[in-house]
Amino acid sequence: MAVDGKNDSLTYTNPAMDLMARLPGVDIFTSTVDRLLTWGSSNSLWMFPMATSCCGIEFMASATARVDIDRMGTIVRGSPRQGDVMVVAGTITVKMAPRVKKLWDQMPEPKWCVAMGSCAISGDFYRDIYSVIPGIDTVVPVDIYVPGCPPNPEQLMAGLMRLQEKMRAQQRGEWTEPEIRPETEKMNTQPDIRRLLDDERDEGISQAQYDGSCSLGMHGNEHRRHDQVGNPVGVDREQGVEALILRAQAHAQAMEALRQEAAQEFAAAQAAKEAKAKAAAEAKAAAAAKAAAEAEAAAADDDASVAGDAADEAPAGDGETP
Amino acid sequence: MTTAEKVAALTGTEVQELETEFVVAPEHHFALAELLQSEGYTFYITVAATHFAGEVPNKKNPEGSPETFQVATVLRKPEPGASSFACWRVELAAGEPIDSLVPLFEGADWQGREQFDLVGVVFKNHPDLRRLMMPEDWEGHPLRRDYAIETAHPPWR
Amino acid sequence: MSLSIQPYSAEQPVNPYLDVDLYDPDADLMVLNLGPQHPSTHGVFRVKLILDGEVIVKAIGYPGYLHRGVEKLCEKLNYSNIKAIIDKNDYISPMINEQAVNMAFEKLAGVEVPRRALWLRSLLAEFQRIASHLIALGTFGLDVGGALGGGASAFMYCFRDREMILDVFEELSGCRFHYNTHCVGGNRHDVPAGWDRMVLPALEVIEARLDELVDMMVNNQVFVDRTQGVGVIPKNLALGLGLTGPNGRASGIDCDLRRDAPYNAYGEVEVRPAVRSAGDCQARFLCRVDEIRESARLARLFLAGLPEGPISGTKPNKGPTSVKIKEGRCYVGLSTPRGELGTYLIAGGNKGLSPYRLKIRPPSLHHLASIPYILPGNNLSDAIAILGSLDPVMGEADR
Repeated sequence: MAVDGKNDSLTYTNPAMDLMARLPGVDIFTSTVDRLLTWGSSNSLWMFPMATSCCGIEFMASATARVDIDRMGTIVRGSPRQGDVMVVAGTITVKMAPRVKKLWDQMPEPKWCVAMGSCAISGDFYRDIYSVIPGIDTVVPVDIYVPGCPPNPEQLMAGLMRLQEKMRAQQRGEWTEPEIRPETEKMNTQPDIRRLLDDERDEGISQAQYDGSCSLGMHGNEHRRHDQVGNPVGVDREQGVEALILRAQAHAQAMEALRQEAAQEFAAAQAAKEAKAKAAAEAKAAAAAKAAAEAEAAAADDDASVAGDAADEAPAGDGETP
Repeated sequence: MTTAEKVAALTGTEVQELETEFVVAPEHHFALAELLQSEGYTFYITVAATHFAGEVPNKKNPEGSPETFQVATVLRKPEPGASSFACWRVELAAGEPIDSLVPLFEGADWQGREQFDLVGVVFKNHPDLRRLMMPEDWEGHPLRRDYAIETAHPPWR
Repeated sequence: MSLSIQPYSAEQPVNPYLDVDLYDPDADLMVLNLGPQHPSTHGVFRVKLILDGEVIVKAIGYPGYLHRGVEKLCEKLNYSNIKAIIDKNDYISPMINEQAVNMAFEKLAGVEVPRRALWLRSLLAEFQRIASHLIALGTFGLDVGGALGGGASAFMYCFRDREMILDVFEELSGCRFHYNTHCVGGNRHDVPAGWDRMVLPALEVIEARLDELVDMMVNNQVFVDRTQGVGVIPKNLALGLGLTGPNGRASGIDCDLRRDAPYNAYGEVEVRPAVRSAGDCQARFLCRVDEIRESARLARLFLAGLPEGPISGTKPNKGPTSVKIKEGRCYVGLSTPRGELGTYLIAGGNKGLSPYRLKIRPPSLHHLASIPYILPGNNLSDAIAILGSLDPVMGEADR
């Protein structure tokens, strides 16, 4: 559930609310209960750590003695079923992203997501790398961004307090400023995958991500063939390494053929270029010879004329060219 | 007879110092590792494969040059007080496999798998050659020179 | 008929490639996926365990959930920009990771490092070693004791003490993490005035509290039962797998690069690495405890003997092109809290401005490669203790 409420499809409504709203006098009761529940949930945000890398260490540090984030009622739980807030702390890779999506889907509503650190926000300097997803908000909706590399424990605490304020303001029905995803000026690269709350995002991408996360099985009944699960694509287990060698050799032969083709093309291009150059040189030589012959003929014609005429013509010709 | 001389006798190359990388023919790779292990180089350190993309035909080199691979292996002699290592490399043509050191060193298993995954060098006699780092349905070998760093992988990136 | 799986021993080694069909056709085997998101895998590491009741029959490790393509990225970056990336590899000891790549660059570029910088690097490395081992001990306590049991107090105490080291680093470089304080040819930040008045009390407090911690854990019968004789790695297996650092030394490999192949200022002092022969979880734990004491002793030595002079032989790297290495290749190893961190470098990419190939030898990946050998035959609960005692860092293993 996004506290910003920007995307309607993500907000959560309890089906019991419909029934209760129709009964007289219950709305006063439910609004009081709602206030009580919001007070309770905002003061006991149980965190589910999706701690993958460096930020995970600062996350652990914030849960220990010096900062002691427990005093806000934020207890760290290892299970998605017990968590209210998923703190994505660290780089999320292509291999990990379906798991994140699956764990997010397993968390019970209402739930919130905090992107901690620049890797979770945008991928940081790994964002252009083949295996890193450029920000966790392309997969799950993010409510709070905590910038830093890694952010101090105090910054994480401030982020959680921002989340609490938002929850209370939302309960009071006040409009809250949506979190703006921090970006640096240097970040001109756009990811191929649009953000979740981006209007230009393709619905097919969301569906493909959902399908990808659902297809992660536990391989529960495949234990008899456990070592076939991770086989290289298209290679039979029985053939083993020999098949891989054959495949590598085929690839090398294909590359070699490409290279030879390129070499032939290059040679042909070189030959064509040389022939062209030769033809041009010949033409030039012919033209020069012709010009020389013409000049000779002209000189023969002009022999009779006065030398001063030729001197007059030359500056006039120069003046015409520009 | 020092270890360097034994290595030189086995491989038929000039070897002055084992810590300076020397080149070994692919057929001597396994025998050399066996020799070094018996000489006290029992500590498996690392293997590093490198892809050389070759040259496209150009003015200086109208034929171009084919793509090649180099596989460097490092073993260490764990001796209290004075530890040294041996580093050699094997130069391979594209598609040519290299002997795996798994029968000698257990650590060569995952290291070989990693290099197969990222660079695409095939290790012969490897008991379990699969991808290690990338997802199993990944296409291509990322650390090759002709692999673009920003390759997209929908629907995740 | 049932085959019994025994833990790894020299006489009866475990076959990591065991075909489960051959194990026992009638056994009711269960597959349990541990990770990738599990608090006790120390990061994102997945182990597929095949269980016969409570006993592990086969363990298959799946790293790579944090593969960030660092080696590919390094081929695109200039030399002076690389160390900021390498910081994030081993995020528990970034100070030493910076030194590793810088040593390789300095070796190929032929840059002389001033003596004060060498001593300062060694001093910072020893501090970082203390901080890293404190995390290892704390999280190991959490693994063995359980999240709400007695182990959580060890976790709290260790992180409390580690904060003092982070304060020391913050005073020096301005960061709690990812210091970026080394550059090719020296250091960027000199010791601030009055730094030793902050450092020495911190060391004293940590050493005193370490005794408390050891009393609390090693004299605890539950801790002893869960660690002693569990996850034994014999010396031969450790050598073959390439287990370095405290994990290797706990198995009896007497090898520490600080003493055997001295770099920085370690050649000028006497280093006494802690070596044990049991090779079990408790030996690995105690090796780390001894290393903290040794590091505190070394840190005092380095601080007392810190020579005067410049901290950088070259001008600090202002522009990204200030380091240029035309060609050459080398392998450089140094000792991090986890083990031998090697850097295999082929120079000459991008007209000499970036490496052609930079391969990092991650000690953690070698440690994780041991789990198919040492987990089978143990109980499921011991798997957690064994994984915790190996102290892997996934950022480094997957890169």
